[in-house]
Amino acid sequence: MSNSTAPTPSTAPARSTAPAIEAHGLTKRFGDFTAVDALDLHVDTGAVVSLLGPNGAGKTTMVRMLATLLRPDAGYARIAGYDVVADANRVRQVISLTGQFAALDKNLTAAENLRLMAHLRGHGRVAARKLTAQLIERFDIVEFRDRLIKNISGGQRRRVDLAAGLIDKPQLLVLDEPTTGLDPRSRQVVWSTIRELVTEGVTLLLTTQYLEEADALADRVVLIDHGREIAAGTPAQLKAQVGEQRVDVVATDGAELEQLASVLDEHFTTSIAREQRTVSVPAPNDVADLARVTHAISDSRIAVDEVALRRPTLDDAFLALTGHPAEEQQSDLTPKQGAAV
Amino acid sequence: MSTAATTSTTIAPDRSGHAVRRYVRDTVLLTARSLRSIPRVPERLLDVTIQPIVFILLFLYVFGSAIHVPGISYKDYLFPGIIGQSLAFGIIGAGVATSNDMTEGVVDRFRSLPISRLSIITGQVMGQFCEALLGMVIVVVFGLLLGWNPHMSLGHGIELLGLMLLAIFAFTWAGVLAGMMVRSSDAMQGVGFIVIFPLSFMAGTFVPIAGMDAIPRAIAEWDPIAALVASVRELTQGVHSSGSWQLEHPQLAMTLWCLLILAICVPLALRRFNRTLAS
Repeated sequence: MSNSTAPTPSTAPARSTAPAIEAHGLTKRFGDFTAVDALDLHVDTGAVVSLLGPNGAGKTTMVRMLATLLRPDAGYARIAGYDVVADANRVRQVISLTGQFAALDKNLTAAENLRLMAHLRGHGRVAARKLTAQLIERFDIVEFRDRLIKNISGGQRRRVDLAAGLIDKPQLLVLDEPTTGLDPRSRQVVWSTIRELVTEGVTLLLTTQYLEEADALADRVVLIDHGREIAAGTPAQLKAQVGEQRVDVVATDGAELEQLASVLDEHFTTSIAREQRTVSVPAPNDVADLARVTHAISDSRIAVDEVALRRPTLDDAFLALTGHPAEEQQSDLTPKQGAAV
Repeated sequence: MSTAATTSTTIAPDRSGHAVRRYVRDTVLLTARSLRSIPRVPERLLDVTIQPIVFILLFLYVFGSAIHVPGISYKDYLFPGIIGQSLAFGIIGAGVATSNDMTEGVVDRFRSLPISRLSIITGQVMGQFCEALLGMVIVVVFGLLLGWNPHMSLGHGIELLGLMLLAIFAFTWAGVLAGMMVRSSDAMQGVGFIVIFPLSFMAGTFVPIAGMDAIPRAIAEWDPIAALVASVRELTQGVHSSGSWQLEHPQLAMTLWCLLILAICVPLALRRFNRTLAS
């Protein structure tokens, strides 16, 4: 930080040793509804952790408490050693939150938004201009830098939003559902931006509804539902708990199903779903297994409609870990959700 | 005030010497942000410009011929009323803008920055204050162009300006508080239509209070907007109102109303802001 007015705490003894996030028994209620229920969370400096859960699981409430926007009803949380209630102002100096909805002034241009954030973080005119120029370059905002936020696409807004969160390089970056509502291409762009930040050593807490996203970005995943932790671990561990990925083969003719299974039995442990005319085999080796299956089938000359690699989804995870799908719970919560998120 | 409020205004020790300067700087930055959107969303000024202008035209050229106020031309009677009404409409404008801001997430970002939360809300108030002031200037200029003829001494002019600024300030705070309490800007429009609209119509704005039916007259005699209208009328046209204590001492009454509104709305708005916000 070259600028001397930057309000980054230089005299913070706690920060070098304290974990980026340390939360214990964190609880938030809205009336009768408990949005976050005694949640513990530990994130080491430099780690990338994802809070994974369906809509209304308490993810946003959790990150809002960590970012000092909501007061916990019970429990405590420390960010880089600072308590989110007692030391809220210190916490705001080290944390940067990018919310579920682009937190930008839509009547300002991209560049004006960034400059405003730099000014509010204490930078003078020259420094703010320089920082803005750097961020515009880096997040590929050049093209639409002088367009009003309300006139640019969702994916472009996300980029400006991310850039605004990275003025002063926060010690902890919190991204609340960074790709929700984006088209697949914009999602890829946001992912690659996030990956780049991670390689630079930013500590990241990321919430998402997509197992795929947690898998792609995080090195640890905490699965939550109804404000409680259901499971935690590396994406690989979680997927192992959920069930492996598999290859599904759909036979054209149901009568040939047994024959198809016996062909595949030579190489794999098969399971048959008769109504779907499907034979499934576990595919821990990803595309390699898919290739072996395809090979075996083409040798056997049995007609098939479809051969596909299936990866476990968040729904599978919920089914495996809680016994009911995520969607069902979401609709249970809908009336109260307004208060929760 | 809650503990959150106390902690949020605490500045880190290494910057404690600059707390006031930083507060002023952040307020100026946030006011400027608010003002920037005026030319980009000119429809935000509708409440305080086009609406009063429509009323001026309607009452001056459509209904006015049927209204006779003894001792004063209807034009000179009407404009003080319109000024009072458009100041009151500023409550709705401030409320709508605030409720839009609060539901859009940008305020959340400000709240997660290491700046004083007071500066966020004073920035909002100052932005809305300037907007209402601009609307006021437009209405007055429009009135003068149409032949409104205020005659007053320099002393009365200063008194009038002071009173209008105080009223805009108080109304803006009331609007900002209302904007934080409603669920959406549509709800704010609705509240404005149900509460502010009738109060601003029965305040001796277009017709004398004395001629009203008993119940509306009783309300109008203690309607703060009526005190404002009576003040403007007294200062610009030398017309004294009568009917209730506040109408007989309108400037004093309006000053007291403003102080009361501020005494209630400022702490409530700060408290509300430090509590959670919807989003």
